[in-house]
Amino acid sequence: MTIRLSGLAKEFGDFTAVHPLDLTIPEGSFFALLGASGCGKTTTLRMIAGLEEPTAGSVLLGDDDITALPPHRRPVNTVFQNYALFPHLDVHDNVAFGLRRRGIRSVRKQVDEMLELVELGGMARRRPRQLSGGQQQRVALARALINQPRVLLLDEPLGALDLKLRRQMQLELKRIQTEIGITFVHVTHDQEEAMTMADTVAVMRGGRVEQLAAPAELYENPRTAFVANFLGTSNLLTARVTAADADELRLDASGSPLRLPAARGNGVATDPGGQLLVGVRPEKITVTHGADADGVAAGRNRLDGRIRDASYLGVSTQYLVDTPACPAFAVYRQNTDPDPRLVPGADVVLHWDPAHTFGLDAAQDADAGTGEDAT
Amino acid sequence: MAPPSDTVPPPPRTPSAVPRARRPHPLLAPVRLLRRHAVVVAGTLALAYLLVPNLVVLVFSFNKPAGRFNYEWRTFSTDAWTDPCGVADMCGSLSLSLRIAVLATLGATVLGTLAAFALARYRFRAKGTANALIFLPMAMPEVVMAASLGTLFLNMRVAFGFTTILIAHVMFCLSFVIVAVKARVMSMDPRLEEAARDLYAGPVQTFLRVTLPLAAPGIAAGALLSFALSFDDFIITQFNAGPSTVTFPMFVWGAAQRGTPVQVNVIGTAMFVLAVAIVLVGQVTANHRRRSR
Repeated sequence: MTIRLSGLAKEFGDFTAVHPLDLTIPEGSFFALLGASGCGKTTTLRMIAGLEEPTAGSVLLGDDDITALPPHRRPVNTVFQNYALFPHLDVHDNVAFGLRRRGIRSVRKQVDEMLELVELGGMARRRPRQLSGGQQQRVALARALINQPRVLLLDEPLGALDLKLRRQMQLELKRIQTEIGITFVHVTHDQEEAMTMADTVAVMRGGRVEQLAAPAELYENPRTAFVANFLGTSNLLTARVTAADADELRLDASGSPLRLPAARGNGVATDPGGQLLVGVRPEKITVTHGADADGVAAGRNRLDGRIRDASYLGVSTQYLVDTPACPAFAVYRQNTDPDPRLVPGADVVLHWDPAHTFGLDAAQDADAGTGEDAT
Repeated sequence: MAPPSDTVPPPPRTPSAVPRARRPHPLLAPVRLLRRHAVVVAGTLALAYLLVPNLVVLVFSFNKPAGRFNYEWRTFSTDAWTDPCGVADMCGSLSLSLRIAVLATLGATVLGTLAAFALARYRFRAKGTANALIFLPMAMPEVVMAASLGTLFLNMRVAFGFTTILIAHVMFCLSFVIVAVKARVMSMDPRLEEAARDLYAGPVQTFLRVTLPLAAPGIAAGALLSFALSFDDFIITQFNAGPSTVTFPMFVWGAAQRGTPVQVNVIGTAMFVLAVAIVLVGQVTANHRRRSR
C-alpha cells in the first residue's frame, strides 16, 4: 500500500530530527532510507510505525490518515534493530505474538509455514538467546511478516550480522519481498545494502532528504556533493563556465577545457563566468600513458597529470593522479591488459566520455559525505 | 621502548634449563593440602559458623527439658513436634505474624512495583528526593524509625494494633521492593515493549504479556524479601503493637523471660527447613530448565 508522508516533522526539544518531509512510497516497492547515524532516517521510520509522535504533518496509508493511530492499530509491522525478540517466549510464541493479540486462536499451522519460509523449521521451541544472530534476524522477520502487514518497516535489520551473512540476508530479504509483494521500507547506513536491495533510495542528511532516486540514477547523476561522496567515490573539481548552449556547457578547469551535457548539470548556474563543481566517477575514467596521448579520441574530456600512487587491488588497480585541476584524482583501471609504464611518476592523460560528467552547485562543501560513509 | 612484558612469550627453554623440582618435605604435606584448599576450608568454616545456631535449635526441638528453660539436654522426645500448638497463645501469634507478613508483602509489592516503574521510566519533579527517601528506611537504625512511627501514631491518636503494625511493615518493606524492581526495570530493553505495541498489543496487553513477565524476577525477589523482613521483625513491631497483638517474634521474646517452651524450637526449625526447601526447589528447577535448553 502506498505511504504518503506530508510535511512530516519531528523535534526533540530544540533539536530538529526531521525537517518537514514530503515523501511518497509507492505500493509494492522496496524503499530505502539511507544516511549516516543521526540523519533522521530511524525517526522517520518510527513515525510511520507510530512509535514516535510527529511534531507536525501526517502519515497516509493508502487513503487513510493514520497519524493519530497508536502503533497497535496500524497495519504495519517493524523488524527492529537488534531484533527485540521477547526473551521470555520461545520462537513459536514470538512469531505467534501478533496473531494472538488479534484474537486468532489456532496459530500452529501459520507459524509453522512462516518458520519454513525463513528456514527455521524445527527451531520452534528454542528460546531467542539459543539462536545465532542470523537465526534471530529471521525470527524477527517471521514475527513481523506473519501478520501480513500492508507495509514492513526494517530498522537496520542486518546491522548486527557479519559481512558474509549480511550479503546472504540481503538476497534473502529481496527474495521474500518479491515473493510476497508488500511495501518494504528499509532504514540503513550501508550504501551498498541500499543499492543492492532497494528500487528507490532516499538519501537523508541532517533531517532532510538530500536526493530521492533509483540506485543507478543516484550513482550516475548525484545531485549534491554529499550524495556523490556518500555513495561510492567521486572526483570533484571546481570549473568555470566559458560557454553554454541548449545541449552542452563548455567549462574551464584550471586551463583544461571540459564538456558537460546540459541535462546532467542538475540545474546549476549556466551563465558564462559562473562557477560549478564537476564530478566524474573513478571507474569511468581511462588512464593513458603520456606517450600515447595522441591516440585519445577527440571530443572526450581530458586532463593531463602525473601518477602519484598506484595500488593493486586484484580485479583493478587504483591510481591517484595529480592534475592541475585537482590533486589526487582517483582512477580505477581493470587489470585486463596491464600497462607496465603506469607507475608512480609517469605522465598520463586521463580521459572520459563527457556523458559521464555531472555538474553540482559550487556553493557546497566538495568533501561533504566523505568521512561519514560507515562502510 | 620494549612492549609490556606480559605480551612477550617466554623464551623457549631447553630441557636442561628447567630447574629440577625440589622434593617436598613429607611433614609439609598437610600444609600444602591446606594451602590448595584454602577457599573450601574458609567457606566451610563460615558456613558452619552460620549454621551451628540453627543446628542447636533443631537438636533442642527434640529435647524434653526438666524445668521451664530448654537450655540443657535431658532426653530425646517428639512431644513438641506432635503438639506444636501446645503452648498457650503461641499458634495465635504465629498466625498473626503470617497474616501480617502476607498482607504487608502484598501491599509493599504492589505499591513498590508501581513506584519502581515510575522512578525507572519517568522524569518528574523531586525524583532525586524520592530516591533518597526510599533509601532512608534501609539506612536508618530500626529503633529510630520504630520510635518515630510510634510517636506519630500516638499523636494522631491511632489505636495501636493490627493496622499500625501492618502500616509500619508495608513502609519498611516498600524500600526493598522498589530497589529490587527498579534494578530489573532499568535493565529491560524498552524496544521489547515497542515491539509488543507494534505487534497489535494495546497498553494493557503490552503490560501483561511483556512488561510484567520481564519484570517478574525483580518483583518476586522484592516480595520474598518483604515476607522475610516482615515475618521476623521485632523492633518496629514492638513499638507499634497493641496489647492484644503479639506477633511470633514478640511471643518468643516474651516467653524467653519466663522460660522457653520447646515448641518455639519446633516452629523455628520448621521455618528454617521450609526456607531451605524453597531455595533448593528453585535451584533445581532453574538447573533443569537450563539443561533442557
